[in-house]
Amino acid sequence: MAFFLHPNIVRYNCTCGSLKPISRIYFCRHCLKIRCGYCVCHEADSHYCANCLEILPSSEARLKKNRCAACLDCPSCLNTVSTRSTNITVQNPDDPNKTVTRKAYYLACGFCRWTSRDVGLPDQTVASGGWPEREHAHAARISSLLEHYKVLALRERQERERKKFTPRRSYLHFSDKFGLTAVMARKRAGLPPLGGLGIKDEAGSILELTPSVASEEVDSLPAEIYTKPINLAHVATLSQRLAQPEFQTELVSNLFPAHKHLMIKRSQRCRSCEHNVSKPEYNPGSIKFKIQLAAYYYVPEIRVVTCEPLRIGQECQLIIKLCNPTQHQTAIEFLPLPSAEEDLEERHKEIEEKKEKQAEKKNAEKTSQGRDDVSVLLPSLSLSRQLSVSEDPHPATVKLTGEVILPSSSVLLPPRDDAAEYDDAGDTYHFQDNPKVVVWRKANKAAVKMVVVPQDSATETREVLIGFVMKYTYVNTMASLEQKEPQKVDLKVKVFINVGKTVGSCI
Amino acid sequence: MSKSVKIAPGAMVCNECELRGDITIGSMTVIHPRASIVAEAGPIIIGECNIIEEQTHIINRGTPGEANPTCTPVMIIGANNVFEIDCYSEALKIGDNNVLEAKSFVGRAVELTNGCIVGAACKLSCPEVVPENTVIFGSKCSRRQQADRPPPQTLQLDYLTKVLPNYHHLKKPPKKVSNA
Amino acid sequence: MLPVTFSRVFRMPLYEGIGLTEKQAVVIDIGAAYTKFGFAGESGPRCIIQTEVKCPETKQVKKVLHYSSKEDLYDLLVEFIHNLYFRHLLVSPKDRRVVIVESLLCPTLFRETLAKVLFRHFEVSSVLFVPSHLVSLCTLGVNTAVILDVGYIEAVLIPVFEGVPVLHAWQAQPRAAEAVESSLKALLLSHNNDKEDFPESAIEDIKVRTCFVTSLERALQLETVEPPPDVVYREGGTKIFNIPGKVREAVYEVLFEQDNDQISISTMILDAIIKCPIDMRKPLAENILVMGGTAMAPGFKARLLGELKYLLQQPKYSSRLALKTFKFHKPPAKENYVAWLGGAIFGGTDMISTRSLTKEAYLKHNNVPDWADLSYNCREEDKISL
Repeated sequence: MAFFLHPNIVRYNCTCGSLKPISRIYFCRHCLKIRCGYCVCHEADSHYCANCLEILPSSEARLKKNRCAACLDCPSCLNTVSTRSTNITVQNPDDPNKTVTRKAYYLACGFCRWTSRDVGLPDQTVASGGWPEREHAHAARISSLLEHYKVLALRERQERERKKFTPRRSYLHFSDKFGLTAVMARKRAGLPPLGGLGIKDEAGSILELTPSVASEEVDSLPAEIYTKPINLAHVATLSQRLAQPEFQTELVSNLFPAHKHLMIKRSQRCRSCEHNVSKPEYNPGSIKFKIQLAAYYYVPEIRVVTCEPLRIGQECQLIIKLCNPTQHQTAIEFLPLPSAEEDLEERHKEIEEKKEKQAEKKNAEKTSQGRDDVSVLLPSLSLSRQLSVSEDPHPATVKLTGEVILPSSSVLLPPRDDAAEYDDAGDTYHFQDNPKVVVWRKANKAAVKMVVVPQDSATETREVLIGFVMKYTYVNTMASLEQKEPQKVDLKVKVFINVGKTVGSCI
Repeated sequence: MSKSVKIAPGAMVCNECELRGDITIGSMTVIHPRASIVAEAGPIIIGECNIIEEQTHIINRGTPGEANPTCTPVMIIGANNVFEIDCYSEALKIGDNNVLEAKSFVGRAVELTNGCIVGAACKLSCPEVVPENTVIFGSKCSRRQQADRPPPQTLQLDYLTKVLPNYHHLKKPPKKVSNA
Repeated sequence: MLPVTFSRVFRMPLYEGIGLTEKQAVVIDIGAAYTKFGFAGESGPRCIIQTEVKCPETKQVKKVLHYSSKEDLYDLLVEFIHNLYFRHLLVSPKDRRVVIVESLLCPTLFRETLAKVLFRHFEVSSVLFVPSHLVSLCTLGVNTAVILDVGYIEAVLIPVFEGVPVLHAWQAQPRAAEAVESSLKALLLSHNNDKEDFPESAIEDIKVRTCFVTSLERALQLETVEPPPDVVYREGGTKIFNIPGKVREAVYEVLFEQDNDQISISTMILDAIIKCPIDMRKPLAENILVMGGTAMAPGFKARLLGELKYLLQQPKYSSRLALKTFKFHKPPAKENYVAWLGGAIFGGTDMISTRSLTKEAYLKHNNVPDWADLSYNCREEDKISL
């Protein structure tokens, strides 16, 4: 599908303003809006290792620093290494005169042929695991620093909390002059005030930390750097160094394999209604989805069939094919693009609506706060969302280079019927089509004629870009609180078509 | 097959491969069908236990522009080398235990010593002597030096000498089939 | 307590996030060339990647900091940070805290746009901006130091005394990796006449793998000393060129040569110390912290120390500075992620809940508090009382 739709010929205008082909947009069935990868909320769903396809729960992934416990990466070319086994002969521990063969395992990269023997790692006796883990040299120091600052931060916070309870404009500070009150005396001495915060404060005893000591000595250059020729094959490249940021070894001979980085499956959620528009199956081996509200299944698809050679200023006939992917009949109408002012008005209207909704939500929250049972029943009202954040629309700049004369009448498309393909009886639908509009139709598809007039502005890019609004009826089958029955709604989407290059020079 | 091709006993040379010019093939060397070895400017001497796979080109090409070369260049290939599918080599000197991976290219001015590996699709054309046990890999022809040279492909050779005669006609079958 | 008394870190209304504390905060240090990122409280960054994005439509790689407009930067940052979270960090950005390690001299446009991207696009719960120079001290456990950050575009120096940055003594010079790389390119082009250009990646590779900072003694007579051996460099398998030993030794000189204003990377330190009150000078000179990727060049610190000692004897400084020793700190990290580590330590404490800019506060005021903005950075009365 990506291949058919890859060239950005027909692009749909997402609610957020970006233009994308139909294969890259979603249709939220709950708010009946088009969404795209830019305006949905991405979430990490499940962690897995791309090599062994093992799923790790997110807590474990966090513990393992997003790395697979079993698989290792080659430090030289960053591909996955595999374990090889060899037979080695060793002395029999019981009888020194005899030798026994046993299996030994080492790591080898199939791509750059790096092996764990290259860097002097001893072979392992077990096939998986057991490879030495390198410790960060400063780990202990850093954790003591962290502890130290944690205590400092806690103390600062307590001080601030304590300060909050003293009235800001108290005249207590004058009392300093005339002898301290008992409270102030305690405070001065750094003791906890009587009662209250006493227990908390005990935790705040500052750990002794030896600060770093600066020295006059610094690492000087080795003397042989001026005379010894360097072999580039022995010096690690920057990408090899940065692959292990904590070590950043300079010599290839010190490069050790690192555990493979995990990958995630993502689910995507509509921002305004918080429903998923895409949720993959948990298993990394599966490429299926639990929820996949791709626009391809809900919004009529447009493809360009043919177009007469485009000459600037001349009328050319364009035939597009419409396809209804839904299980319900739809009527498609074409409207000219709204002007900039109309657009603005619409946006304002939307914002107003949103505000109203928010206000409603707030009211609902207020009422629900009084009654706990309500908030449990309707979690979407209060708990799940503290504040709805709206991102500014992300308008794509489109410069139309062609005018289009749209068909005047609407086109009815029957629902999709998977069995129709195998049905020899032919179409059972009989629509009274306007022959000036509909060229042919078959099952849930119809070809529609329209006229394109390339404008002078097309001379520059030589590409003719037209745009119109497609209005289609959509049957909403989602049962909501207010609406149990399926209801018909008219939806609009702006569509931009790159009709093709102009022919001939303009006169 | 021209007279100038000398095949040592024990070598497996398939009938469908192209051999042109003065070529000497050492014993136990296996040449797959559709490999092409062209001794254009001078003789090619191939040592023992090499595997030369399909679509390999080994060409001893004269220096272009030089009409009468003062001396005939001789191409010498050592032992235990592997030429993988569709590799191309014009190198005049190749030592032992080298591997030319699939679709690699080694130019005329390059000399491979011993234990070198030219990675898949790597192209070497600058004049140089590749140091021993060098591995060249990746799209940027990165290099690294290996501790050991790649092991000789004994098992594969044994297998090929058994299997190839079953399915292919061999050139000048050696009088004694190796009893491996 | 530490530093940030003066800083741009905003005081948020006391808010105890329910269940927020257990989510590890993300610490990001966006540099001009490389971005360091990982989780708060960890001992090293998870990844260090180039600060660039691949445009999904044109497939061209573009540096995030080469933005043309605010909108362009917004898009670049969305793409870049999306990649950070879902390719490398593998966590959902939503309702998670973020620590941004930034330079005090970070342009307002960049900060504002970054905050907008984080709050509006990624819906993070709070952002804590920490000044890189200040938090770097967290890696040392000291409160006073001269901090010199030699990054990609410029070297920035800010002295910090008892946790307070001495802002009027700051120094910034465009003497960093970019200058070194352009000098290397020019030198290589002059030695290889047949070449027209070198790709940036090759220049960086040559710089990292073959070049070094020579000692002061040799630098003073660079023309006469025996140059180090040449290196034959291969670009792929088909192109080859020679890197003269002289070039290997000389590229970093661009950092240390004094320009017309008699300024170099080493005079920055001395000039900054001179600008500080006399009582601060000795402690500052004995606590120097050098960080940034360029400071990892072999011989960099030795040269810097040599230069400082040499300059001290020059009449320009000997009359004004009575210093005898310079001491350098050794942070428990590689130089290129010292600032990140500082942010990770700082972000690993309670500070992240008390000093962050929350989503609520951001949405209310719709801007980011900044130290340069007087509506935020004025003395709070409650600080003076008591």
